[in-house]
Amino acid sequence: MKRLQILGTGCPKCRKLAENTEEAAKALGLEYSIEKVTNLGEIMQFGVLMTPALAVDGKVKVVGKVPSVEELKGLIGG
Amino acid sequence: MSECCESKKQTTCCGGTEKKTVLLYACSGGANVAEIADRAARELMFAGKGTMFCLAGLGAGIQGMVQTAKDADMNLVIDGCPVECAKKIFDRCGITNYKQIKVTDLGIEKVKGVRCTQEQVDKVVKAAKEVLSK
Repeated sequence: MKRLQILGTGCPKCRKLAENTEEAAKALGLEYSIEKVTNLGEIMQFGVLMTPALAVDGKVKVVGKVPSVEELKGLIGG
Repeated sequence: MSECCESKKQTTCCGGTEKKTVLLYACSGGANVAEIADRAARELMFAGKGTMFCLAGLGAGIQGMVQTAKDADMNLVIDGCPVECAKKIFDRCGITNYKQIKVTDLGIEKVKGVRCTQEQVDKVVKAAKEVLSK
């Protein structure tokens, strides 16, 4: 199961990244869990400077931007 | 560390504004050129030219920091001397979206055990602004 974590404090772009990520995961037919990490201390543990960010199985894949669903398919599918 | 809409204190969020993300890194050695690089980077940050980020974190291979640098619009690397430690860290991490300036290229001699001067810092700040404006 893929662990998808959305790093951000809950702003519109964070929510959009969560939506797009979930849509991409569903389109790929992945088994996944999605979690929003909103605590700044926890976010900084990832070494991330800008949010929103996406971590897949603990590895940061995107920082400070909201990729399209198609782009996210490539980032979370591998 | 990161900026977000609701917290300008620590994060730059939401990809924030549509402003370009410029990250600044300074040599962290022990000679005067490192002090100059560090002070110049901080002056650039406080002038709104970018955000200082952790060169040591990249050197340590902190994955999220490496990805942060890769996803930035631009990284400005201020190396102190021809050894180019900062540039080498970037190259080793596979980060290609950076520009580099070197303090010693600006006619400043690398010396240990002396404090830098404001004039030297100003010279680096000026050079950095020129690089960033291109």
